[in-house]
Amino acid sequence: MINLIKNFITGSISLLKGLLVTLKNIFAPTTTIQYPTQKLKMTERYRGLVDLRRDKCISCLQCVKICPTACLALTSKLTEEKKKALESFTYNMELCCFCGLCQQVCPTSAIYMNKIYEVTTYDRKKLYINLLDPEKYVAWTSAVPK
Amino acid sequence: MEDSLSAQSMKKDIYTEEFLINMGPQHPSTHGVLSLECRLDGEIVMDCTPHLGYLHRSMEKIAENRTYTQFIPFTDRLDYVASINNNLGYCMTVEKLLKMEVPERAQYIRVIMAELNRIASHLIGIGAFAQDLGAFATPLFYGFRDREKILEIFDEICGNRLTYNYIRIGGVQSDFPEGLDKKINEFIKYMKLKIDDYDQLLTNNAILLARSKNIGCLSKEVAINYSITGPNLRASGIRRDIRKDAPYLVYDRFEFDVPLGANGDAWDRYKVRVEEIRQSLRIVEQAIHALPPGNPTSKANRIHKPQAGEVYVRTENPRGELGFYIVSDGSATPYRLKIRGPSFSNLAVLPELVKGLKIADIICILGSLDIVLGEIDR
Repeated sequence: MINLIKNFITGSISLLKGLLVTLKNIFAPTTTIQYPTQKLKMTERYRGLVDLRRDKCISCLQCVKICPTACLALTSKLTEEKKKALESFTYNMELCCFCGLCQQVCPTSAIYMNKIYEVTTYDRKKLYINLLDPEKYVAWTSAVPK
Repeated sequence: MEDSLSAQSMKKDIYTEEFLINMGPQHPSTHGVLSLECRLDGEIVMDCTPHLGYLHRSMEKIAENRTYTQFIPFTDRLDYVASINNNLGYCMTVEKLLKMEVPERAQYIRVIMAELNRIASHLIGIGAFAQDLGAFATPLFYGFRDREKILEIFDEICGNRLTYNYIRIGGVQSDFPEGLDKKINEFIKYMKLKIDDYDQLLTNNAILLARSKNIGCLSKEVAINYSITGPNLRASGIRRDIRKDAPYLVYDRFEFDVPLGANGDAWDRYKVRVEEIRQSLRIVEQAIHALPPGNPTSKANRIHKPQAGEVYVRTENPRGELGFYIVSDGSATPYRLKIRGPSFSNLAVLPELVKGLKIADIICILGSLDIVLGEIDR
């Protein structure tokens, strides 16, 4: 019986000590934001979806070779001035692991990762992206904070 | 006399037998997809067998089909709570195979990142342990709140929040952006105050003590026989930390202690983690002040072709000793890659610890071992 009372008292004291900490935190500034209405700005180096600056690409295939999951594929043809020109450049978002190796190896920084982070869709076909299409991410731009 | 007789006859009347239950694979307290097959006698655990393999992704085989650089993102997915430490272990192994020198600034940056990641990992470990004991949500979310500060720093440095893919063979992905030293210093100041909060909220709390003191005592012999490493081993009172015993990177230049436990019970394992956060903060503080100038980055597009041979490197992960063993045949891909995950042996001791205890103590002990299933199943 005495033990029970003793336990009750020590338990209550340590409970109060703990409550003191939580009380302190109630009046601390909030650390969360109201997500769908409020949105954070992504950092400068944020790795979102793979994007392409078409005019800069020299079809060197570095990004295709380094990709660990083989989610990039490109074909090119020689122009009359004997320069490589892009024919097609596809990006399979389903396989992409957002490691950022492609943007690191690109010698002309043609391939880069943008700031889009809300990448869910009901249609699997939407995950196969043609990077040469200028309007490829229009449907998802609403995800970028204004 | 009559009473005891009737009690005996009563006992005969009630038919009892052992009971076999499956805890998991989908159970909030198994920290992932782990299934524990428990043989129970009432509430007493007679035997417990962990069943693994639900998260098997064949990492070691994947490595045989990837170049050395391409496998770095996969190491992120081993122990996904402490990705940088996995990157580090793998890259150090390949560097040893290539006999490559790493710039000094890169080594300091690696130490800073690895220690920050250790703090983030221990915060989750502590929070999840308290959650398992029934301190619902509060300590876990305090842990997540403080971890968020680290993730913000990581987000600025490497652009991702969980799978960093930051450390490269022969350097790091990118240098610190400007003004980051200030941010890290601010975090150290903030975190030092917050650990005292944890002590007040949890460490000496009578309920936590009652639930975890003298529960799941791991003796020195058993710990060594099961090759337990990391905080779980140090909680049993064995001074073993690879950062001290066989210093890699620039760890020998920093002053820090190796926190030890006394009994090896669940509380000691928790306490060692709290103390390790303090020591990690000390290391980060010293490293950020001694950060040398230079270019720490290395190019990713080089194809590495090491000489034929084999190499094994071990590093101190937040959960213990992480080892990578690579056999090279001189080509651009590893011939064989073996990962020695610390969580695997830490989990293996669980049946030894829970025998004879109550079923609620399984959750307490499993929480205190702080396992990550991504690393166990690989």
